[in-house]
Amino acid sequence: MAGAPDERRRGPAAGEQLQQQHVSCQIVLCQNNIHNQAHMNRVVTHELIHAFDHCRAHVDWFTNIRHLACSEVRAANLSGDCSLVNEIFRLHFGLKQHHQTCVRDRATLSILAVRNISKEVAKKAVDEVFESCFNDHEPFGRIPHNKTYARYAHRDFENRDRYYSNI
Amino acid sequence: MADGSGWQPPRPCEAYRAEWKLCRSARHFLHHYYVHGERPACEQWQRDLASCRDWEERRNAEAQQSLCESERARVRAARKHILVWAPRQSPPPDWHLPLPQEKDE
Repeated sequence: MAGAPDERRRGPAAGEQLQQQHVSCQIVLCQNNIHNQAHMNRVVTHELIHAFDHCRAHVDWFTNIRHLACSEVRAANLSGDCSLVNEIFRLHFGLKQHHQTCVRDRATLSILAVRNISKEVAKKAVDEVFESCFNDHEPFGRIPHNKTYARYAHRDFENRDRYYSNI
Repeated sequence: MADGSGWQPPRPCEAYRAEWKLCRSARHFLHHYYVHGERPACEQWQRDLASCRDWEERRNAEAQQSLCESERARVRAARKHILVWAPRQSPPPDWHLPLPQEKDE
């Protein structure tokens, strides 16, 4: 196969974004680990956020751990991975600001799944980028907790020309 | 901000009402507390709704100014984080190409 060897970026055993350097990208879904539609939606959303970041910024996936950490923070934050219901199913109980704890933990786990580094190094990278990346809600403009929020985000997107030309 | 007769509120007034209504809902309170650890602040949406209606009815210049300032503050708040990576001007040219094994088929 021509080109550099592919690098598989694996989510928690359910999905991955396959990137072949200098060639193209795809999202691979592991059907043996995806058991219902809601989980499928979350995995696809998670991986599409990585794809979105790949397209909108110069993301150095392979040699810059902070870039990887940032995209994983955003994916955990915006995909629904860390919803209250999902955390309760994982027996992680918490309410006040628990979403942020979940995002930090799951971003760290995602990094450890694809990089041969220590947990401390992964956690440090997440901590360094968290403030910036947690508050980066593109392309939604908000955290899409459910369909209502997603619908409002889409409405704002469709209204963007009017919005930016009148402020 | 576009001046003169061409200006209109950045969002339809119904959008301000919908955002205010969502913000005040119990479900949003729960989401916001779960994410930020505090109750949401919804007063600005209410002020913006009032300004929007005021402009629609009376073409009030103060209402227009208030709306613009409010929305600019929202944009500033959304952009105040320092980016970890450099933004692109356009997507990578090869992002949509088929994989080699698909090309060979």
